[in-house]
Amino acid sequence: MAAMGKRTLKRSSLAEHWFPALGTVAAIFGYIFLVLPSLIVIPMSFGAGSELVFPPRSYSLELYRQYFQESTWMAVTGQSVKVGLATMAASLVLGFSAAYGISRTDFRGKGLLTVFLLSPMFMPHIAMALAMYLYLSRLGLVGTTYGLVAAHTLVTVPFVIVTAFAGLRYVDRNLELAAATMGAGRLRIIWKVVLPLIVPSIVVASLFAFLLSFDEVVISYFISSVQSETLPVKMYSSIHWEISPVLAAISSLLTVLSFGACVAMSLLQRNDQ
Amino acid sequence: MTETMVWLDAVEKSYGAVRALAPTSIEIAKGEFLTLLGPSGSGKTTILNLISGSVAATSGKIWIGGRDVTHLPSNRRELGMVFQNYALMPHMSVFENIAFPLRVRKYPEAEIRKKVNEVLEVIRLEGYENRKPKELSGGQQQRIAIARCLVYNPDLILMDEPLGALDKKLRDQLQLEIRRIHRTLGVTLLYVTHDQSEALVLSDRICLMNSGKVEQIGTPDELYFRPRTIFAADFLGESNILDVSVASNGEQATLTTRSGFQIEGVRTSLSAPVAKVMIRPESLMVAENEKTEPNTFKGLVEDVTLTGGVVDIHVRLGDAETINVRRLTTRDFRMTERGRPITLRVKPSDVVVFE
Repeated sequence: MAAMGKRTLKRSSLAEHWFPALGTVAAIFGYIFLVLPSLIVIPMSFGAGSELVFPPRSYSLELYRQYFQESTWMAVTGQSVKVGLATMAASLVLGFSAAYGISRTDFRGKGLLTVFLLSPMFMPHIAMALAMYLYLSRLGLVGTTYGLVAAHTLVTVPFVIVTAFAGLRYVDRNLELAAATMGAGRLRIIWKVVLPLIVPSIVVASLFAFLLSFDEVVISYFISSVQSETLPVKMYSSIHWEISPVLAAISSLLTVLSFGACVAMSLLQRNDQ
Repeated sequence: MTETMVWLDAVEKSYGAVRALAPTSIEIAKGEFLTLLGPSGSGKTTILNLISGSVAATSGKIWIGGRDVTHLPSNRRELGMVFQNYALMPHMSVFENIAFPLRVRKYPEAEIRKKVNEVLEVIRLEGYENRKPKELSGGQQQRIAIARCLVYNPDLILMDEPLGALDKKLRDQLQLEIRRIHRTLGVTLLYVTHDQSEALVLSDRICLMNSGKVEQIGTPDELYFRPRTIFAADFLGESNILDVSVASNGEQATLTTRSGFQIEGVRTSLSAPVAKVMIRPESLMVAENEKTEPNTFKGLVEDVTLTGGVVDIHVRLGDAETINVRRLTTRDFRMTERGRPITLRVKPSDVVVFE
């Protein structure tokens, strides 16, 4: 009996020892498999040739020079930054107001409203793109920057709301009640008590909103015109007409940008705790 | 009659079908220290929330400082509040925390500085202005929270179990501090606690709550020596509750306990044949001579526990009756060891009859 007990003990400890290790190895390979294609463009972007090849035959910064010197690329990048910042501002105001209102009051249909506000997260982008196209064309906003910002805001607001909920959950309700009993009105409470305490969530939400907008292709493709074209739309159309190696340089820059933002976000969230 | 600071006029609170507070009327005089005492769910926190304005009354009116505040938001009720978890602004320094209510009221900078320094002196925390709340101990944080209320001189200060998160030593220390502040500044204080000894130490009057109703309201003396209900007797201090039969002549009565002991000369107008009575363990005396006379109980010591300054002796009087006695601890407390016979004497005036 004792011997048997010992053997099963040994086997289970073997399993305990090896399964997590195997899991880690599988995870690493899976991760590499997923990430490698996007990393491969980085060496390609330093190629000198006029076509996209891996590995590059010789190395130079030619493609980056082309990107930064061609006015059309700079124009669409500027447009993307503009749309991204406007989307960020709009979705911060809307998202945080909604999250604060919902988390600080009780009313009938609160759960339903929350689901409704978050629903764009679960909608296929292509369906939203079509819907937005039809809707905005009625208002005469298709092809305008306003239309783009409105459509992007619809996509980013749910993410801002979720981030804001998470931040607001850590703000002690008693702090707000204390401020109120001391005579502070709602606006002062939000400005002096709530907002300073959720700065990390605000920064994370801003980065999130900006990146989502900056990266968005499907809806932008439907809604933008030549005048309001964003960087991803221009990249997408240029891969159809002129497979330009500049795309590798731009993709690399975008990858580095996203990566930097992700690192910043995780550092902020760590500081928060 | 002194000036009334707070008046709850038949205030009631229900959540759907659940009644958290039956229609309740309470008056708090200016400068009074009133404690709401009761177990959790007794309605004491509901009263506090109604006064602070964080929940709305279902019916009735709330008056503070002569104003009807029933429909005013918290920020216009001229209150101060101290919380169990301190609720200091973590992103502000001690100075800014205390200055907050003054900034809301748009005081000039020089006056803010003067008032904050004054109040830091009252709570004996000068020199801590630039610390963040996180860097202070729990006791210090709670003193800052109290200072934050004192600095703008509100009509009423609410304290919601302010010592609940502190250890025993600090709790005793801060109790005395709160009492000192109340006496020297004469602020009106409404204090919520479930700790009966805290209520007895601090209060001018205690309002004992039980399942959404006021059980009894009065001075600590009244509640301790003249509890009106078994719940009140049981909640404040230790108590022996005995079933007795009553032989009354109108003003005085002779009570007979279940095991046949008699208490003579109890003042009561009770006419019922049976009643419950309460005797505090410390008002029973251990008799030296063992003569059988009225107002004595004879029994056997069942257990003795030394709890520090006092010794609790559990005495069995009969098959269905026991009584607890409390004595100051002396070296000879072992004289009352288990199994020994013991005689106890009670003064008729120490017997409380529930009518």
